[in-house]
Amino acid sequence: MRFLLSSLFLLLVGCASYPKKNGYVASKVQTTVVCNPYFSNPSIDYVYKSNIEVFDRSFGGILVIKKLGQDHHRIAFTTEMGNTLFDFSLKGDNLTINRIIKELDRKILVSVLKRDFLALTTESIQSIENFSKASKMLKKASILGKNHYYVFENDRLLQIIRAKNGKKKVVFLFSGISNNIAKKIDIQHHNFKLKISLKAI
Amino acid sequence: MRNPFPFLNSVPKKLFIPIGFLWLFLFSLPLGAQTKMNTGEASALRKKVKAVAKATRTISSDFTQYKHLDFLSNDIISKGTLAFKAPDWVKWEYTEPFSYAVLFKNQTLYINDDGKKSNMDLGNNKIFKQLNQLIAASIRGDMFDDATFDISYYKEDNGDLVHFIPKDPQFAEFISAFHITFSTVGEVEEVKMIEPSGDYTQIIFSNRTQNQPLPDAVFTQ
Repeated sequence: MRFLLSSLFLLLVGCASYPKKNGYVASKVQTTVVCNPYFSNPSIDYVYKSNIEVFDRSFGGILVIKKLGQDHHRIAFTTEMGNTLFDFSLKGDNLTINRIIKELDRKILVSVLKRDFLALTTESIQSIENFSKASKMLKKASILGKNHYYVFENDRLLQIIRAKNGKKKVVFLFSGISNNIAKKIDIQHHNFKLKISLKAI
Repeated sequence: MRNPFPFLNSVPKKLFIPIGFLWLFLFSLPLGAQTKMNTGEASALRKKVKAVAKATRTISSDFTQYKHLDFLSNDIISKGTLAFKAPDWVKWEYTEPFSYAVLFKNQTLYINDDGKKSNMDLGNNKIFKQLNQLIAASIRGDMFDDATFDISYYKEDNGDLVHFIPKDPQFAEFISAFHITFSTVGEVEEVKMIEPSGDYTQIIFSNRTQNQPLPDAVFTQ
């Protein structure tokens, strides 16, 4: 019986939502507009020296992001020596491939990158629920049908967490923030070995 | 018929004729002071560059790279140094605004990405092998291989310009043309690699010294 109860307890905890598991409590204000300012200025060329670790391979390059309009970004990745590896346009939920080298032209890779870049560049989105814990705010929003939790501390966006069944799937970490630019961004995938590190140059 | 250029409605009609003339004037101007070489001039340039390349045992130079992407407001500028030792050792090192070096040596590409070291065997990768040979060759300018490129020659104010169009369609997917600018003595001053989209990488060399001893230690990862 005790075993059954503890299993039931584990099952219940296991199914708890990400905010509950992490000690957040629901806020009275249920929905607000969530703002991610890091790729929102159309007059800035956002240029990052990048490192991508995928499975046991690691390669570098330059990631360039430019806001071209409302919900419209151009995202290109080149080698240090200047050869373009991919060049995407992201407009709303639609991704157009302007260029991609054969070696990277894999449906699964493009779909992972689309999800990541959309989460990275979405500038404003309506939250579904809000939570708080001390000076931290957690705002839940849905991107391409997946739950994303925006973590704010003193009104500054520090993380975006894609979670399923209370477990982190992908974490976007923003640091070195000044004037609405994140000098360092880390994108960590927890369900498979993919890590993208970006340093502003 | 609907006006396909509605923005023109705001331009007063009497301005159309002067604007038309302006277009005609602009398009009739030669692009810079660039003229096509005749066969004699082209073969003299080939000879000169080949002689300089043959006599080159080492090169060290600074470079500034401009990466142009049409949708950006500004080119991405990076700087670094280049070392070459005949026949085919090349170290290409970025120092600003990031630290990244590639070393082509013994059929292998060694990378040092801000302390993170990796290497790639070029032997099995046709495209990288070709790129390696091209980069080594382009520093000296000796790329006059008619089997690999369609080559055209131009005279400019302060030197010569040669366009190399790759013939291999697989290679042309990466780079549709190399434009190399030579000084009057036949040294490479500028390399422009143009991608099929029209975006390009322009590399301008400065403080070039030639045939000064370069220790092997320079060519380490």
